[in-house]
Amino acid sequence: MSERKYAYYPGCPSGTTAMEQDMSMKAVFEKLGIELEEVEDWNCCGASEVEDPEIVYALNARNLAIAEKQGLNIVTPCSICYYNLSRSNKALKGNEELRARVRSIDDSLAYNGGVEVKHVLDVLVNDIGIEALKQKVEKKVEAKVAPYYGCYIGRPPETAFDDPDAPGLMDRLVELVGAEVVPYNYTKTKCCGGPLMMTRQDIAFEMARKVLEGAKNAGADCIALACPLCGMMLDAKQPDIEEAFGIEIGMPVLYITQLLGLALGIDSGKLGLNKNIVDTKDIIGKVV
Amino acid sequence: MIKTWELEPNFKYEIMKEPGGEHLTSCFQCSTCTLGCPLTEIVPGYNPRKIIQMSLLGMRNEVLSNPDLWVCLICQTCTARCPQDVRIADLLGAIRRIAEREEEAGKLKIDSVRPRFDKAFMHQLEKYGRLYDFGLAKEYYTGREGSFFKGMMAMSKDYKAFGMRLFKKGKMGPKALFPEKVKDREVMKKIFEQMGAGKK
Repeated sequence: MSERKYAYYPGCPSGTTAMEQDMSMKAVFEKLGIELEEVEDWNCCGASEVEDPEIVYALNARNLAIAEKQGLNIVTPCSICYYNLSRSNKALKGNEELRARVRSIDDSLAYNGGVEVKHVLDVLVNDIGIEALKQKVEKKVEAKVAPYYGCYIGRPPETAFDDPDAPGLMDRLVELVGAEVVPYNYTKTKCCGGPLMMTRQDIAFEMARKVLEGAKNAGADCIALACPLCGMMLDAKQPDIEEAFGIEIGMPVLYITQLLGLALGIDSGKLGLNKNIVDTKDIIGKVV
Repeated sequence: MIKTWELEPNFKYEIMKEPGGEHLTSCFQCSTCTLGCPLTEIVPGYNPRKIIQMSLLGMRNEVLSNPDLWVCLICQTCTARCPQDVRIADLLGAIRRIAEREEEAGKLKIDSVRPRFDKAFMHQLEKYGRLYDFGLAKEYYTGREGSFFKGMMAMSKDYKAFGMRLFKKGKMGPKALFPEKVKDREVMKKIFEQMGAGKK
């Protein structure tokens, strides 16, 4: 384990729709003996709604500058936050003029380029490592799991940390917990539809339906994922999607940290497994 | 049909000046972006390759008023696969921002509620520094439906069941009901005032 402490960037849904992701993230890192110190007074990364890259860079210069003062590298469990923080980090590090322009807005945006930004999947598999995690595994989750990656993990190339077409980081964690990875290649990197949920629900639901049915047809007991927007679409909106298409899916959706937490022997309540919308009891029942 | 007498050859340079649009002229029309796009399975005729070619030709009005601009999910599949590093997802974002400015200037009517949603989202960040779901929904639905009352009716129709579901799981606590504010909100305001295209 290379680092014992990270600056934790929870992201806006961490206190609401994705509170189980926040809970399981904290529980897993505590169990691993790695401290998470919240990026103090962090602000929103800009999500997918702030489309102007320059505003995104300025918003995240503040987050990066705070982490820099804390002397820590950032870890985030959200794929969109990761993408925005990471691309801002690259742009600011590589462009002195941009750094100066951002700094001229406010002193709190003075960032010197001393921070690395990582997604939780990257930290778990590449920083901590499968071997080190293996030593902490206490239980086996005997479930069939569809690892769903969505966007911003394998693409775009400038910030990607896994293969764009055949990503594998989450597969390795699923295998680590003793679960079976179901064949799920076609839909595992497709978008969940989340960015269009409020403006073109018809398209968003169709995208999510494909991901959910893809997992179901592959024989999965649950989906594992690593992004709160995907979580909202596939879990919290699942009953709406079932209603809209007149279908039954009933697919539990777990954050990868919840699944890993079960294998690390962490209590399911502490992992927020009672907060997921689609009941997770069947998955908890497969822990041996 | 291309009306050659209506083409605006400088349109491509207008796009390339917009952050994200810089790589437009690298496109050699191979269609890889469109073949991999998940929307083509859902939206009939959706074709980012065509939007790029129309932009290169200078079909400014046709491009800026194209409703397909507003259904891109920014999933970045096109960008990942493009052999010419056109960065299509960012490029479409650049075109969307030009269209939004045209609408603000009263020269264009955008056939999508997405600009309204994005703006309502940004207003939350400007005000609080973090996303406030209720504030966003209130502003978006009120604006979209024309009045607060109609907005709340529409929101209730879309989100009543969803909200109850979250409530039952304890996800509608104080953090959902009240805005979480960053301490230094003045800087948020300054960022939105001073950054972005045309504000150099």
